[in-house]
Amino acid sequence: MAIGIGFGRYCPGDSPIHRLDPRCKAVCVLALMVTTFAITTAGQLAIAVAGALGLVMATGVPLRRTLDSVRPVLLFILVIGLLDLFFVSTGETLLAAGPVRVTTGGVWTAVLYTCRFAVLVLYGATLLLTTTPTALTDAFESLLSPLARLGLHVHEISMVLSLALRFVPTLADECSAIMDAQAARGSSLANGGPTQRLRAFVAVLMPMFAGALRHASGLSRALDARCYEGGSGRTHYHVLRLGRRDAWFSVATLAYVAVLLALGMVGAGV
Amino acid sequence: MGEEVGRDVRDDGSGRDDRSGRDDVVVRLEGVRLTYDEGSTWALDDVTLEVQAGERICVLGANGSGKSTLASVICGLLAPDEGTVELMGEMAFDGHSADADAYRHARHHIGLVFQNPDDQIVTTVVADDVAFGPENLGVEPAQIARRVDRELARVAMGDYADADPSRLSGGQQQRIAIAGALAMEPDMLVLDEPGALLDVRGRRGIMHVMDGLSETGTTIVHVTHFMDEALAATRVIVLDHGRIVADGTPDQVLRSPSRLAALGLEAPFVVRLADALDGTGTGGDETSGAGDEAVPRDRDGAYRESGVRLDRVSFSYADGGTRGRALSDVSADIPAGQLVAICGQTGSGKSTLARLVCALGTPDDGRVLVDGIDVTDRGRRMELRGHVGYVMQRPERQLFADTVSADVAYGPTNLGLSDEEVRRRVDEVLDFLGLTELAGRSPFDLSGGQRRLVALAGVLAMGPDVLVLDEPTAGLDPRGRRHLRDIVHALHASGTTILMVTHSMDDVARLADRMLVLDAGRVVADGSPAEVFSHGDELQRIGLGVPDALAWARHLEASAHRGGLELGLGEPITLGGLVAAIDRAGCHDLARRTLVEGGLAWR
Repeated sequence: MAIGIGFGRYCPGDSPIHRLDPRCKAVCVLALMVTTFAITTAGQLAIAVAGALGLVMATGVPLRRTLDSVRPVLLFILVIGLLDLFFVSTGETLLAAGPVRVTTGGVWTAVLYTCRFAVLVLYGATLLLTTTPTALTDAFESLLSPLARLGLHVHEISMVLSLALRFVPTLADECSAIMDAQAARGSSLANGGPTQRLRAFVAVLMPMFAGALRHASGLSRALDARCYEGGSGRTHYHVLRLGRRDAWFSVATLAYVAVLLALGMVGAGV
Repeated sequence: MGEEVGRDVRDDGSGRDDRSGRDDVVVRLEGVRLTYDEGSTWALDDVTLEVQAGERICVLGANGSGKSTLASVICGLLAPDEGTVELMGEMAFDGHSADADAYRHARHHIGLVFQNPDDQIVTTVVADDVAFGPENLGVEPAQIARRVDRELARVAMGDYADADPSRLSGGQQQRIAIAGALAMEPDMLVLDEPGALLDVRGRRGIMHVMDGLSETGTTIVHVTHFMDEALAATRVIVLDHGRIVADGTPDQVLRSPSRLAALGLEAPFVVRLADALDGTGTGGDETSGAGDEAVPRDRDGAYRESGVRLDRVSFSYADGGTRGRALSDVSADIPAGQLVAICGQTGSGKSTLARLVCALGTPDDGRVLVDGIDVTDRGRRMELRGHVGYVMQRPERQLFADTVSADVAYGPTNLGLSDEEVRRRVDEVLDFLGLTELAGRSPFDLSGGQRRLVALAGVLAMGPDVLVLDEPTAGLDPRGRRHLRDIVHALHASGTTILMVTHSMDDVARLADRMLVLDAGRVVADGSPAEVFSHGDELQRIGLGVPDALAWARHLEASAHRGGLELGLGEPITLGGLVAAIDRAGCHDLARRTLVEGGLAWR
């Protein structure tokens, strides 16, 4: 019934990665993700793949669970990779069948881009799988807190983000329930003329809209009842504290990034 | 800016010192009036009420009687238009203006839990959610951790601290919401219909938590539609049209079935039984005579193969294999015109089965035939839609059109019927459900009960001969439940095949020809309700109960047995059946004596 939005749903655990300070984890993983764009050589690619798999192993989340959570994205990347195979035509021809020509350049581009994005997605997934949305929100709030001095409502923004994360599955479930109900009344988004489709669309959209408003009013009652009065004077259940583990993780990340960039320069020099 | 007003009121105690010198009144309302529409109707009208510390108050009333409004006023979430409100010893509303600080102080001492768990859970991790309130109060982190552990243990959710609330059952979610309120260490807990959307097991769990709280001295105000829950209270208040019309102990308030019926409520089972034994009436237990009133239908109904056939049906959700099988090898032959109740606890596969019959999913294995049409046959899909109607859980959520009649016309129009035919069907169905006067209104302006009927009308207008109802009475008040039962009864009498997913064993006893019990995706019992209920222990094991009548029959047999008497009452599952069984066994006097001795809270 639930629409496939399992992407990066938090997976409880007690691994060293789970226990990292979310700020350190978020910044490091972001660095790992950004540097995947610097990968151009086979050596770099090998290190990145090893790094990503190593990190996934270290989370203690079963590999299958990790792959399941990113499967739709990986499939998408694979399809794009296959397109590269046919549309890049540099290098020697390996295979030619009519207008289709597969070249060594095409194969390398396909492999490089596919692996690069796969590594990127895996890094992102490890962050989401090992960090609760609350911890992410806390990290976000803490990292951006200097901006609060410029008048930005950092706490409120992160609270809104966190509530949005909370309500995505609820609204998705509701959406599929309403689509079911309207389908049983003979409505169809896939068949019929434009007028019928528009009506079918409205028949799902209107109740969703009404539902969202209902949730909003319920939520505001709940926030009032639980004495939520904005960020000031609030304490945090999880106290963010950088420890030795975070230092090691940062060092490892720095080393990885340094090696990756150095290999790139060597590769470019040769 | 809120910093200058002591954040942690618990320490500065400003809210409490005033009170300790006086009495133990936590809430005092005097002449409270409140309107949502500039005074043309009053949601609360001249309400005067005192809540003493340690009381367990139950607030009853039909939908629209002002219960939820009263709960909001008591929690300090809503200020009235007239009258005075004193909360936690401080004057919060003096008749003219609200004292924002007093309201804020009071809210720090009052916890609220309401109907829909979806709206009151604000994070995606159970423990974090319980911590949310204490965080807002500025409690020290170490202290928060202690409170989270303590409250999760109290509501028996300690093993779920790391879980994602959206993956838990409604009953578990409500217990988390209660833990979240308790972690703020309130002096009073207000629960606004916390069990309205839960199954039997979920409601029992919440009642259990309330019992424990009440013993430790927490003041409880509990708004509910379930009379059996009111029996546990020390004091019952009944609201009608915004006014308090009864206020006393459960014994005083709940003894008069006719008076309660007039207020849109239903008397507790034992009161109705006492009434029936005295021969003063059936106590409103059985469905009324609506059954003679057939739904007008235009088809001749001459199908060679009609009804529903499930042949070794299996189904699993493609969700990374984490959820496993929703249905395994389910077979059942449901002849045309039968009313089958589908029972089982949350997650047993009931709703999945309902969806498959409505062609909203394709079985992995086996076949589902509705009136001889295979649900996987895409070519006959639209034809199938005209045969089987699906009323989802809380179907009022599906309404979308500007007017009631336009919404009801949506299904028949999709079937490709002529405008004239569509109009005829809409008129007929609205007339059948007594909604004709609402035809031109916006469905969004109606009450919850009316909206549910409009949604039902939208399905009935398609003229289905197989109707699938998923928890049709969930969340309705007693009057609404009764009205819906009458409608189901009438549809059944007119020959519609009905599959009804339900948690209410009394609805099963009153309505169903047959009962199909699912547990973990398998059929574990299939037979007439009397047959299935005779294996009560088995049902208890999978989290289902038995109807009140049968439970009371066993209760009477047990107390007779203690007196050295063996009674054979058989398996009465309705009130009428129980009275007849008592007559047959000639134990009228014993039954009446047991009723008097047992009091209202016999269970």
